[in-house]
Amino acid sequence: MIRSKQLWWTLALAAFAIFPLVVTNPSDTTIAFFALLYMACATSWNMFSGYSGYIALGSGVFYGSGAYTMALISVHAHMAPGAAMFWLVPLGGVVATLIAIPVGWAALRVRRHTFVVITIAVFFVFQNMAINFGFTGGTAGLALPFITWDSSYYNIPFYYVALAVVIFATVLSVSVRRSRFGLQLLAIRDDEDRALGLGVKVGAVKRTGFAMSAFTIGMCGALYAMFVGQIYPQFVFDPMFDISIALMAFLGGLGTLTGPLLGALLLEAGQQYLTVTYSNGSLYLILFGALFLVVIMFMPQGVVVYFRDRVTKRADRERAVLAENEAALDLEKAH
Amino acid sequence: MNATALIDAAKDGILTGSVYALMATGLTLIFGVMDIINVAQGILVILGAYLSYALSVHLGIDLFLGLLITIPSLFVVGVVIERAFIGRLKGPEKTAMSILVTYAVSLLIEGALNIIFTVNDVQLHASYVNKSFLIGGIHFSFIYVAGFVMAVILLSALYFMLYRTRFGVSVRASLADQTSAALVGIDVRRVSTICFGIGVAVTAAGGMVYGATNAFNASTSYDLISRLLTIIVLGGMGSLGGAMIAGVSMVFIGDMVGVLWSPVWSTMAYFVVLIIVLLLRPQGLFGKPIARVA
Amino acid sequence: MNIRGKFFRALAVSAVTGASLLTIGSSSGAASSGTLAMGAPVKIGISLSLSGDFSADGLAYQQGYQLWAADVNKHGGLMGHKVVLDIVSDASSPTQVVTNYQKLISTDHVNLVFGPYSSLLTLPAAKAVSRYGYAMIEGAGGAPSVFQAGLKNVFDVTLPVANDLQPFAKWIASLSASKRPTTAAYVTSNDPFTQPQLPVAQKIMEKAGIKTVYNKVFAAEQTDFTPIADAVASAKPQVVVLGAVDVPTVSSFMQAFEQSGYNPKVFIATAGPDQGSSFLKAVGAKNANGIMVPNSWYGGSANPMSKVMVAEYIAKYGGTPSGVNADIAEAYAVGQTVAAAVNATKGFNNAAIIKYLHSGVVVQTVQGATSFNSLGQNLNMTAYTFQWQGKKFVQINPASDANSVKALFPKPAWGK
Repeated sequence: MIRSKQLWWTLALAAFAIFPLVVTNPSDTTIAFFALLYMACATSWNMFSGYSGYIALGSGVFYGSGAYTMALISVHAHMAPGAAMFWLVPLGGVVATLIAIPVGWAALRVRRHTFVVITIAVFFVFQNMAINFGFTGGTAGLALPFITWDSSYYNIPFYYVALAVVIFATVLSVSVRRSRFGLQLLAIRDDEDRALGLGVKVGAVKRTGFAMSAFTIGMCGALYAMFVGQIYPQFVFDPMFDISIALMAFLGGLGTLTGPLLGALLLEAGQQYLTVTYSNGSLYLILFGALFLVVIMFMPQGVVVYFRDRVTKRADRERAVLAENEAALDLEKAH
Repeated sequence: MNATALIDAAKDGILTGSVYALMATGLTLIFGVMDIINVAQGILVILGAYLSYALSVHLGIDLFLGLLITIPSLFVVGVVIERAFIGRLKGPEKTAMSILVTYAVSLLIEGALNIIFTVNDVQLHASYVNKSFLIGGIHFSFIYVAGFVMAVILLSALYFMLYRTRFGVSVRASLADQTSAALVGIDVRRVSTICFGIGVAVTAAGGMVYGATNAFNASTSYDLISRLLTIIVLGGMGSLGGAMIAGVSMVFIGDMVGVLWSPVWSTMAYFVVLIIVLLLRPQGLFGKPIARVA
Repeated sequence: MNIRGKFFRALAVSAVTGASLLTIGSSSGAASSGTLAMGAPVKIGISLSLSGDFSADGLAYQQGYQLWAADVNKHGGLMGHKVVLDIVSDASSPTQVVTNYQKLISTDHVNLVFGPYSSLLTLPAAKAVSRYGYAMIEGAGGAPSVFQAGLKNVFDVTLPVANDLQPFAKWIASLSASKRPTTAAYVTSNDPFTQPQLPVAQKIMEKAGIKTVYNKVFAAEQTDFTPIADAVASAKPQVVVLGAVDVPTVSSFMQAFEQSGYNPKVFIATAGPDQGSSFLKAVGAKNANGIMVPNSWYGGSANPMSKVMVAEYIAKYGGTPSGVNADIAEAYAVGQTVAAAVNATKGFNNAAIIKYLHSGVVVQTVQGATSFNSLGQNLNMTAYTFQWQGKKFVQINPASDANSVKALFPKPAWGK
């Protein structure tokens, strides 16, 4: 069965890999690019918040820092517009991680509910700094070197770099999940005091997870800035971004591996598609809200868990019968 | 810096802060009793303001008189939302799920308001809205003073309801332990519905004052909700008095920074204070010291 | 493990169906050739903010564009082709605006595009559009950053905002010493649209000996303006120059001024009072009396084209000339500029349109004579100052203009 699992991963990957070759329309590849960005962000967010149960609503800090890293360096180094700018993408991740270390150090001193609000507050502090510090260009934002690739080609390099970032985020998330470190994060989610009692260095584990999750989000911010070519503080430090990636992870299945991927794919692509299709802005809001409600009410654990549960139900019943028999056997033995 | 500016800033902090408190009260009540984070509170404030607007423009009903209609109307809206969605949430992830559900509800309401009232900004008008009176050389705006008085009255009424009535006892019992409350014959389900209804109903008053002091449209709700959330956390989630103190502090801190330094740093100053307070007192200013189960 | 297998299959299937869903109805996009089949309509793609922060202006722009299209179609269309507007909403998001223009061009195969609302969305949109070789003709992207981007395809039909306040400041400076105000306050939102405007006015007025008693910038995301307004009021300036982008900001300041018993002799805001009936509705008709705003167009404009447009607007949406939002004229002028270029180049070839508009040609629009410099700025127009006088919105300067009426100065008391 391991084989079959790998097969499906490979197929999914292949579908994403050939997508821009099959679907060449730039408006579709644009939506796909944004969907990939959000898939990477939601996966990365889930790697900390989903596993540890500490819901962060200030990840826009890392997205924005990544975007500003890309913009400031490419502008001040007078970089030639073009593919060389992609090298700044990992640097965006590094800067985001460096920022996440002190932020995590402060914000993770408190427990969950307060943590949520501290991350929101930190977010607004950063947004305010981006707006008011001189070197950020203020509210006029920053214009990046203008890449003049042809429209039929432009999206493709971005798409594949974004896909690479998604793969990176997914591999990282899988590795964390399978590692001792990942188990410690899960233990914190289940019962932090107990984890502490069992000798888990909860503080260090949480801080590490938090900083790690910032890396991919920073890369995505950098990639976004390069793609759009113009950043404004209120759009790269966007409170809706914080909420969106959390929603995506919840919708897909919090703490699962595929949930955030699927949630982001459905939500970002769906949202952009609906907005562009239903030109009436308000009708789109109602449609989107209604769709969202239906999903949450009927699949409260997320789409992934919902379908997995349906599939497991039978297996569970069989297993339950088996377990009962075993228990009966054990009981007999004890007698 | 002249003293008048400082006194003005202090006065504005207390008066406008109380309007924020008025809007946040429902949020903290709903959270305190039900563990529900209602992010639709922002759009419900705007809904309340639009109701007042419709009554005053189309039927010529006075803003304050109109509250007699808008408050019960929003109570019904709250009951419907609770019965249809919130009440169905169960399990340990209830709080987190409530954010999703109420977010979806707020999208629905936003879309509907855009269609009904268009996106053009409106503001509530009445002969007294722009009036003020002088006490000791300081101008007091009538509408803000009214907002302050309403905030005090509503908060006291809610406090009285929670701590001095039979209903309050059952509310607090359900809060402490739902199972035991049910065992002693409290209809936890009904208590939750009524609580949610009340929490939404009080926003009608906040919405009216907000709408009379700011031009608004449906998208204004996004600015509101983040502020309201931080107010109830600073005050201590579930604490009614805390919401009042926090609402006032939020505006007061921003005003002081604006007067003494520069208005561009006002918002940031508040959030920095919020972070510091929460690091020192994670439960907020008046929150219960034991953290709730996530 | 079987469970997982099935589950990943579901993922793969959904990825594939997602991909195929997106493929439906889309084929590779290509820049329009410039010729249209006989009888085929000409499609014009526009992304507007129909929800979110810019929705109030987005709605006005929509009305302006639709009004223009209806007019053109009434007169036989563009080069004999019926104009069809393809308007999609971007929900005030720069991410969505990029997707939208790509969709309009490559999926809907529009022949031309018009600009979105606000400089914030115009720039990302123009960059995306330029890769298709399309011209981006717009009326609401006047911030300096739009022109600094070095794009060859952007044309803003509206006067760049930076010098908007100049005639106003010159007028104040020119008042006789006995009448001239002596103190002024400059307070602005830190927005790329407003911030560059105030120093221009301040420089002229300070030179005329008008003392600056308050000069502060507030955050664009500020929601409560009372404390700033109170601080301005307590400095008691005779002139208030307010850098605002929208109606709510202006109405909050006005309300707070009134409540603190302060009434400046002159009150001008960079935007808000130019929003016609939306402004009156928000602040109340009586309070608007005496409020000024700089702009390049107003509903009472003597321009014959403008008169026709205003009459049509009123026939369709009701109201008075004073109630017509300046956004309407900006949008309408975009349509007229494009129409002139299409007629001159005899087709819908964007490269030809761009070349034509860069040739220094002068196009007449409802906003007046329009021509573009190499950056795409329209420097051909005059900035005027307008004022609400009663329920009427009138032009007060430059004095040399025949349509200017006497300014209401000093500003009457609130509500009078």
